[in-house]
Formats: sequence, structure tokens, C-alpha cells
Amino acid sequence: MKTTRWVVCLAPGIVGIGLALYFFLSYDASHDHIVYLRADLGVLSLIVGLGLTALAMLIFGLLDWAEQTRQETIAKAAEERRRFLRRLDHELKNPLTAIRAGLANLTESPSDAARREALASVEAQTLRLSRLSADLRKLAELEVRLVERSPVDVPALLHEAFSMAQEQPGANERHLNLSIPQAPWPLPKIQGDPDLLLLAVHNLMDNALKFTRPGDTLELHAFEDGAEIVIEVADTGPGIPDDEQPHVWEELYRGVGGRGIPGSGLGLALVRAIAERHNGRATLRSRLGQGTVFTLRLPAGLKQSVTEQTQPVPKV
Amino acid sequence: MQPKPSILLVDDETAITDNLAPFLTRSGFEVAVASNGEEALEKVASGHPDMLVLDVLMPRLDGREVLRRLRQGGNWTPILLLTQIGEAGERAMALEEGADDYLNKPFDPHELVARIKAVLRRARPGQPPLSASNRLACGSLILDRVSHRVLLSEAELTLTPKAVMLLEYMLTHPDELVSRERLLDVVWGWDYPVGTRAVDTRVAELRRALDDDPGAPRYIETIPGQGYRFVGKVETLP
Repeated sequence: MKTTRWVVCLAPGIVGIGLALYFFLSYDASHDHIVYLRADLGVLSLIVGLGLTALAMLIFGLLDWAEQTRQETIAKAAEERRRFLRRLDHELKNPLTAIRAGLANLTESPSDAARREALASVEAQTLRLSRLSADLRKLAELEVRLVERSPVDVPALLHEAFSMAQEQPGANERHLNLSIPQAPWPLPKIQGDPDLLLLAVHNLMDNALKFTRPGDTLELHAFEDGAEIVIEVADTGPGIPDDEQPHVWEELYRGVGGRGIPGSGLGLALVRAIAERHNGRATLRSRLGQGTVFTLRLPAGLKQSVTEQTQPVPKV
Repeated sequence: MQPKPSILLVDDETAITDNLAPFLTRSGFEVAVASNGEEALEKVASGHPDMLVLDVLMPRLDGREVLRRLRQGGNWTPILLLTQIGEAGERAMALEEGADDYLNKPFDPHELVARIKAVLRRARPGQPPLSASNRLACGSLILDRVSHRVLLSEAELTLTPKAVMLLEYMLTHPDELVSRERLLDVVWGWDYPVGTRAVDTRVAELRRALDDDPGAPRYIETIPGQGYRFVGKVETLP
């Protein structure tokens, strides 16, 4: 492969130089009228030969560069895939270990009470695996499923997410605040799937509740910023280390601070996927020891996007 | 004593059939097992089961193809599909192709028994199920399942796609107690933390559009603490 390439690159140059030499050496002073022509032919073959060589090298160089970029993309995707598989393996390992231990207890325990306990534990672990499978399916489906586009009343949605958060365990040990602007005008509606958007805000609130400590403050606010509606969930929690911040959106990622906190590890990945399916973005800012703010930016108004998929909506 | 209803359980995973078959037997059914689509078609022809529980993803002949062949051959044995495909469109397709109901894997085996009993109760031997009909009516309410249009007293209603799917499921499962979790699974394909509220919101939307009084319902009745039931009489239209 490499040899052919060198041959292709150098052949025109060598042929050019050879022809040029031939024309120069066969110079015959006695035939004045063709001397110039021969000299010109020599220069011409030299230029054409070297030019073709340069062109071939340039083309091969570009091909190499494109190939390298492609390889890097593949390697990155492969690395992401390996990371996902490692995390999935980890998520499966714990419940499976618990199930095997539970089954051993079930067959070997002498007392009924111990067997009942083992049975309950096995059942709880299988439910955990079912939830993991359900969340993985949600994530996979979000990429392709039809996203409903109906006008969504943001304040109503935030009130609902907020009242759901208030019902969560641990909510009464934290200060929860909701602020929605009324002035100068109420928030415009956004086009989207109300259930998915509620799920996104719910996941952010749920996440904030899980990662903060009793006494911390949690705020849910929203405002209009140009053509976007911005929804923020801010907390005075422990914060996320800089090196972990880019990874929290990844599927099944668990930061050091997240170990031991229950959850599928897919909540924020779902938030990001929902934001993207609504042509929006999900971002975060965090300072260690001070707190974190998660931000959802969603296009406001009734503008329809090119990429949207809608089901046939009945017409009047 | 009535004879036990016979079920043909079709799944290529022996781990599933080995565990489900005894469970169904204990629940009062006569159970036969087939491990692929071809075997299922043979056993339907020879054994005439009262109902099929059919996995969708199988080698050789998949569940969807078995369903299609049976229905095309005029066989209306009730079929419950076990699907791993959560996509709402796929689920709607399953019903349009003449399945009587479906259940997403992984499921609670008690839920499977409840679905089987509901399907058997609703089944009219030898006749197409409501879910095989393209147009359904309940009084002046008409649902066109192909165009997803809903007419009330000949006026077309504006409904969100999910409200239409909800109505479709209620209309194809009349007089049956449907839990909020079941409706979530049907319309959204997911269970979610925000779920049961989402169902209530859509039911409220339907009631507003249908002018249905929850206190004296003509269409959708609330069963407190359990779910909803479609109380109107549903007919098929040509």
C-alpha cells in the first residue's frame, strides 16, 4: 500500500526529470531553430512531472488527514461505548450479587422468617433491575419517539414539579423556593411535550433533593431570555468537582459524591435528551462547597423546528 | 365446573416459559408451550387454544407475523402480545393488526394473569375483537382509528395525540377496570414518577372535550383508588 503510494507520487516527478534530462542532453547546437523548442519541452516536462508529484502528495496527505479524523471519532465512540458497558456491568453486578446471596439464603436458611426476608430482598433487587431496564428503554426511545408539540404553560408545569418535590422524602428538611416572574409579562408558552418537560424538571428537583443535605436551600426559577425560556434548579449543596462536571450528563455516570445515593444513574441523561428533543440545552454551573445550578434552555413561542416529528393532530 | 381456559404460551426463551407456564397453570389455566412462531401456528391448528400469549421477538417466525397470518386466515383466537418494544407507534400497530392486548416486558406475572382474564372475558368466540375494527362508536361519539379523528355529534374534536390514544384504549377495552399504571404503560410506554398525574390530566382533557360529567359519566367513570372504566356501550362501524 505504502509502496504503491510512493510509486504513484514519485513516478511523474522521475519521468519529468528524466524527460527534461533527455531533452537537455540531446541538445544539438547545429539545429538552432529547434533548440528553444527542445529546451522548452525539457522545462515543461520537469514542471508537469514535479507538479503531478506535488498534487499526488497533497491528495494523499488530505486523505490521510480525513482518515485520521475518522479514526479519532471512531476511537472516541468506542471509548464511550466501553465506558457505558463498564458502567452497565457495574449496575448489573450489585443487584445480581444480592440476588444470588438471597437465593442461597432461601435454599439454606432453616427459619421461615429468614427465608421470607431473603425472598423480599430478591424481589426488591429484581424490581431494581426492572427499573434500570425501563430507564434504559426510555433513553433509547427518547431518541426516536414522537415528541408531542402542544403549547405548554410553563408556570403551571413548574408549580406541579414544585409540589411533587415538596412531597418527596427529605423535602421538609430543606428550604424549597419557587419563583416565577409575573412582570413585565407572564412567561410565554413553549411548544413541547408537557409530560416529558415535567419529567425533566422533576428529575432536576429530585436530583437536587438527593444530593443536598438537610438545611440546604433549593430554588426553582424561570425567566425569559431573548427567544428562550430558562428554567433553573439551584441548590446550596456540596457542589460538583470541576473534573466531574462534564460527565454528569453521561448515562450511568456516578461521581465520587454520588456513591451510595440510590438512583438509576440515568436521570440527568434523560434531562439532557429531553432538552435536546425540544431543541434546547441543559447545562450546569457548580462551585465546590457552595452549590450547583442546573439550567434548562428551551425555545419560547410557537416557532416550529425543521427536525420536529409530530403525530397527526386532529383538526377542527 | 367450567373447563379451564386453555392458553398457548409462545416464547423462545425457555427461562421464561419454564417459569411462566407453572404460574399460569396454578392460576387456573390449561397451558401449552411453543418455542417459535411455526410451532405456534401448528399448535393453534391442532389444539385450538382459547387464547395465545405471544412473544414478539422470536427467531424464524416472529410474533407479529404469527398474528398477521392468523388474522388473515380469519382466525380470531384472542392474542396477547408480549413486547419489548415500548414505542407508542409500535404498540398502536400491534392493536391495529388485531392483537387483543399487549404487555411490556419485564412484567409482573400477576398483571399477565389479570390481562389474560380481561381478554378472555371480553372475547366473542370466532369474532374479531374491537381492536381489529377501524371505526368504533359509542352513541354519537365516533373514533376513526386510521386517521386518529374523533367525532362527537358529527363535529370533530381537537384533542392531543395522547388523549386520542387514551380514548382508543378505553374504547377497545370497554367495561374493564383499567389502572392508571396500565394506561401509562399503554399511552406513554413508560412508568414514570410524574405518571399518574399525567393520566389524570389527559382524562380531564377527554372529559372536557366529550362534555362528560365525572359525577354521572356517560363515557369514562373514575373508580376511586383504582383507575378508570369506560362505561358506554361500544359498537364497531364499517
